[in-house]
Parts: sequence; C-alpha cells; structure tokens
Amino acid sequence: MSAAVDGEISFKEEKGFLSHLSECKGCCEEFDDAKKTKMIIKERILQFKAPQALIDSIMQLTNCNT
Amino acid sequence: MDKPAPTHQNKTPTKPEALSREERKKQLEFQNEAVVHLHSLYNYALHITMNPDDAEDLVQETYLKAYRFFNSFERGTNCKAWLFKILKNNYINRFRKNSKEPGKVDYDLIKDFYHSIKDTRRDSSEADTDYFHSLLHEEVYQALHSLPEEFREVIQLCDIEGFTYEEIANMVDSPIGTVRSRLYRGRKLLRVQLEEYARKYGFNTSKDQ
Repeated sequence: MSAAVDGEISFKEEKGFLSHLSECKGCCEEFDDAKKTKMIIKERILQFKAPQALIDSIMQLTNCNT
Repeated sequence: MDKPAPTHQNKTPTKPEALSREERKKQLEFQNEAVVHLHSLYNYALHITMNPDDAEDLVQETYLKAYRFFNSFERGTNCKAWLFKILKNNYINRFRKNSKEPGKVDYDLIKDFYHSIKDTRRDSSEADTDYFHSLLHEEVYQALHSLPEEFREVIQLCDIEGFTYEEIANMVDSPIGTVRSRLYRGRKLLRVQLEEYARKYGFNTSKDQ
C-alpha cells in the first residue's frame, strides 16, 4: 500500500495492485486516504527560508576555509 | 588570518598562500552539490529541534562535518541524503540526549514556535472544499508532531523531502520493509489526528458524499 502511494512498486506489482483495487472497496478507500494524507503533508507543511546569517556563514566556510 | 581575503579582481592564479587548485575544486563541487540543499536541511533541523537557534547550530555543524569529509561522499549518489544522514547523527549526538522524553510533545511550544516564524513565508491561499484542505498549516504541523518520532521521521523524509525508500532506510538504519510499514502505520495515525482536527474545527468528516 505505502509502496504504491510512493511509486516504489514495480510495474508488475502495480498491475496486480490495481486489479485488486478494482475489486476491493476497502482497499480502494484506504489507498485514496493514504494518497490524500501524503499530499496534505507535502502541501501543508510550510518551508522556511534559512536565515541569511546561516547562509553567509556556510558560504564563508566553503570560500575561505582556513 | 592577518590579511583580508583576497579579492578576485585580477585573475592571476596561484599565489603561494592561495588555495590549491585541488581545494578550489573541492569548494566549487561542495557548493554545487551540498550547499544547494541548505534550505531543506534547515527546515528538517527546525522540525527535529523545534528551536531556530538549535536548528542553525545543527545545520552549521552538519556542513562543517560534511565539508571535512566531503572526500568520502560517494560521487553520483544523492548528496542531500548524505547530508541528512550527517545531520541526523549530529542531532542524536548533541541534542537528543538532553531533550525531553521522546514521544512527548509540548503543544504550546509547537504553537509558539510556529507562530513565531510562520509569517516569514506564506503560501497562496487555495480554495478547496475538501475538509482536509480546510485544515490550516498549523493543524497539519501539530498533527505531524503528535506522531511518535519513528513514524514522523519517515513521513517527513518521504513526503516532504522526497527521498526514496532505500535512502530513508539508510538514514534511519532500518530495512526497507520497516520503512514501508512505518509509513503505512504513520499515515494511518496521521489521518486519525487530522480527522480529529477537522472535526474540532467543524468540518464535516463523513466519508459519504
């Protein structure tokens, strides 16, 4: 199930999985829910910019490494 | 250190005290391969430390170490995954020892933290009728942080950072099967949490539409 959500199953496995989904309402719902949950996390967690001071200090590190 | 860093106005290379070509090459490669992931690392560090100062320290330390051991980075593999692994090890060594018990989440702390930085960047406001989509960033954030660490960790690495199962398995020192089942169970737990929030805030969570 997770592997299908994350695109980590082989083509052959996927074929079997999809054909099972077409017959099993429970799994179908669960699959939708899992996909939705993944999307929510992906979209709803804000990404922040690193503070400029941190960026500067790391650039410094690789510019004049003493 | 008694001289200011040379400016590169004239392009004549190799003064005696200038960096070797080798070193220069390493720096350039490091910038292209590693420094480009700074924002991701910082965000991950924020998630695990929940403290902006600690996050900065952690990222700084990670890059120092990464630069020092950059030669041991296997070229052609995912540098971001390599950096995350270093960051995680640093975190375990430095921070987790003296932090609070694992699994206990201080909601007020999360809330304060989230409020203190959330205005720095806001996404577009999407209109969506789905109740899940009605949830605010903060609720999703809290739901994620209410999960036991082992579940939260794999969900973050997979869904936010986009690592493959193999990369995650390597990062958390567990077999791929374990990663897969943690993702499965973690998402289920997360869903329960999200539904609770949705219900709390008055959204209809019934499945039949």
